Formats: sequence, C-alpha cells, structure tokens
Amino acid sequence: MSEYIDGTNCPWIPEKQHNMLKSKQSTQHYSKSLIRLRSKLRLLLLGLDNAGKTTILKSLASEDITQVTPTQGFNIKSVQSEGFKLNVWDIGGARKIRPYWRNYFENTDVLIYVVDSADIKRLEETGQELSELLLEEKLRGVPLLVYANKQDLGHAVTAAEIAEGLGLHNIKDRDWQIQSCIAIEGKGVKEGLEWACKNIKRK
Amino acid sequence: MFKYIWTLVYWYFRPFVKWFLRHTTQMCELQRICYGQPSGAPRAFAIEESLKQSRNANIRTLVAYLNDIADQRRITTKTERKILEDAIKTVLVTKNINPTAHPTFAKSFGKCVELIWGYRQLCVECEELRKTSYSPENPDHEQLLLKLWSLLMPYESLEARVTKQWQKIGFQGDDPKTDFRGMGILGLENLVYFAQEYPSTATHVLSHSNHPRYGYAFAIVGINLTSMALKLLRDGSAKTHIYNSSKTLPMIRAFHQFYCYLFYQFDGFWIESKPSNMMEFSSIQEKFENSIRMALANPSTVFRINVAVDNI
Repeated sequence: MSEYIDGTNCPWIPEKQHNMLKSKQSTQHYSKSLIRLRSKLRLLLLGLDNAGKTTILKSLASEDITQVTPTQGFNIKSVQSEGFKLNVWDIGGARKIRPYWRNYFENTDVLIYVVDSADIKRLEETGQELSELLLEEKLRGVPLLVYANKQDLGHAVTAAEIAEGLGLHNIKDRDWQIQSCIAIEGKGVKEGLEWACKNIKRK
Repeated sequence: MFKYIWTLVYWYFRPFVKWFLRHTTQMCELQRICYGQPSGAPRAFAIEESLKQSRNANIRTLVAYLNDIADQRRITTKTERKILEDAIKTVLVTKNINPTAHPTFAKSFGKCVELIWGYRQLCVECEELRKTSYSPENPDHEQLLLKLWSLLMPYESLEARVTKQWQKIGFQGDDPKTDFRGMGILGLENLVYFAQEYPSTATHVLSHSNHPRYGYAFAIVGINLTSMALKLLRDGSAKTHIYNSSKTLPMIRAFHQFYCYLFYQFDGFWIESKPSNMMEFSSIQEKFENSIRMALANPSTVFRINVAVDNI
C-alpha cells in the first residue's frame, strides 16, 4: 500500500487531493486521508463475455439485475462491505475488448474472475485467459477470487471441477478462493466478497 | 422545504383558482388547455396533469378505467374508437359541456387521451418484449436473427448458424443468442426494424462501426441503445417525442422509430467524440444520453431521421 500514500497512483483520488497529500502541510489531514485510502479498495472483475460479471457487480450494489446488457467498455460501482469501501471495476469480456484489460491492472487489490459453469465448451478458453492474467507483472501476488457462476443451470459443473479445470491448485504465488454462486439470485456473491475483504485485512 | 409548502398551497388553492377561472371564462380547465395549448406534447402534458390532479369522482373513475385498459393492452385500432368516445362523453357530461357549441374540444381532448394512454400501453408492450428472452428453440426468434443478418449483409451468406461471421455485425462471439441478455427479443426487434426500415442508414452506420480507429460493436451498441431507449420511455422523458410525432395511437412502431433515431444520432456522436478506444463507451454514452434528455426537456422537440441520409 505504500505507493498509495502520496496519492499519485490512486485514480480514485481527485487531482486536488493529490496536491494536498503531497504538500503534507497538515499532518492531521494526512493521517485522515491515509485511513480513508487504506479502506478504499480496488476490485477488478474479469472473465469471458456472458460469464455474469455485470450481474455480479449489480448484485453487489443491490441494483436491479434483470436488465443487464453486454458491457461495451466497462462499468464501475462503489460498494460497502465489511467496513471497506470497494471500487469494483467490471470490464467487458468480449474477445475484442480483452486486450484492454491490462489498462485496468494497476493497483488492483483483489482480482475477481468469473466463470460461466454451464459454458463447458469455453472452459478451456476461460482457463487460458486466466493463466495469462496470472502471469501479469502488475497482478503479481494479488489475491484471486473465482466465482463459479450459474450453478442453477442443469448442465453446470461444480466449483470443485472448475478449480480442477483452471488448475487453481497449482497456484502458489497468491491466495485464491473459489466460490460457487448464482448471480441472478444473489446466492454466493456476498460470501465471495467476504473472503476477499478478510484476505485484505490479514495482509 | 419551499417545494413542500408550495405543494401544500397548490393543493389547497387549486380548486379556488379553477372555480374562479371557470366562472370568468365559462370553460372548464380541460377546455382551456385544449384551446390554449398547442397540439402535441404541450397539450397532452397539460391534459395529463389536469386529469391526474382531478378530484372529481367521475374523472377519477375514468382515469382508473383507462389505466386498466392500457395495462392490459386492450387499446387496439378496433376498440380505440369506442374507448375514446366513452372518455369524451364522460368529460362532456361531467363538465357540462355542450358538444355542438364546442365541436373542436371533443376532437382535441380525444386525441390527448389517445396519446396519453397509447404511451402507457406502449410501455407495457415494450416491457413484455423485453421480458421475452431470446430462445434458440423458438423458430420465430431464430428466423428474426437470420433476417437481421441478411438485411445487414445481403452480399454475404452465413456459413453456419454458429459462426465467427456474427462478429462482423458486432455480436460478441460466434452465437448471438447470449448477447441479448436483459433486453430480450426487444433488442433484436429494434435492430431488425432499423435494418429493414432504414436500410441505407443502417448499413452506413454499420460501416462506421467497422472504422479502423473509431470502430465499435454494432449489435452490442444497438442492444445498449435499446436499454437507453427503454429507460427514456419508462421514466417519461420520451413522451415529448412520442406525443409530438404520433398522428395516431402510439404503437410499437413509435418505439422502434425512436430507437432508430437514437442509433443514428449515437453513431454521429461517437465518431465526433473521437474516442481512443471502445473503453470510452460508457462515458460517451452518458454524455449522449444527457444531450438527448436536454432535447426532450423542450416540449416542442420531435426527432426525425434525416431521410436524405438514407438515400446516399
């Protein structure tokens, strides 16, 4: 977190405050901002198109999830959980947009990867995208939460099978967790987020 | 606080003001609106507000009855005449208006009723289409999807139902079935209408979407614009345009037309914004929505696609 202290690397801090933090004129201001900084986290939601990222985002923000559209670009929402203020970034998963994912890696506190458990045809593709993400320098050591979404669908495979398929057990350089969920019913979503928050606290 | 006091004052004094005007002008409020306001949105807005505020039992029953009929989508070209006649008769009797002395009133009031409750019915219809998910098992849905392809890409045939070719018209992967999401069949119908009614505009916009620098995903942006059009319809912002543009009962066509205008305008707005990549979509769309909202805030606004463009 040390690189956040001057605020220059924090996209969520307005320009004005960058200067305030830099000048360090008032130590009181400084420490207050520091506390606020530490409790504002950046979560990055990635995954293939139609995995359910936007539905998970809306579910976290307690918004209507019946009218989701395919994400062209990205969505961002601020959510409160476990005393943390979370900025959740949901980036579109279409093949054409995936090259832009890297623009959002910086300062990520938790990487959330969403998998459509019923899309068996593309399990290999999603595994490949994930393994490429895990090699990214900017995401090194960032805890990984995998949502095995759409567990309500008949032909969905279990979270354990997904963990196996993605090779999660071979990950040694970071904490990871897999959480089965049904985003459209809001089931399992909060549980995953709780893990994410606890994991940051422990650090 | 001021707003609260104002509503209170308004609520108490409205009947006195109305009573006074009624006796000085010899006309009821509905008549004054019909004669005083220009036709289209300004008149329909005022009539809508007046009917909503009315404390007269007959008028209240009439409003509840019309709401009910619209919610059940029972206003059709066949039933419409009778419904409007009933509504007009109720007002004539309740307000003691002599129809021979005020022939234009009945006509103009009927027109407003048609617009107001046609719009309400349109909201219900769009919502039903939206709730109908795209289903690959439904032959109608599949046919509509294939129709969209042949309209947009007349010189190229699909090699298979599931193919990468779909990305050429801006779907995300090789099967569009998962791209309609929460917009359901409404999203597809909007796209098909655009491609069918404005073929050259649609292909013109499609070619823009393949621009090497300012390109975007045509179908996906289209589905997002369905969502935006629906939002504007639902919160009533689209009333201005629909009231001003409808010569007859507003039906699904009116929504499709509104959508086509938004798509055509968005395309221009996007290119003018010179986005560095597709990731700017949300912010540009937000700006676009604000500009449309500003335009709709003017009660005389009516959107028309420039037909000249369609002939280029």
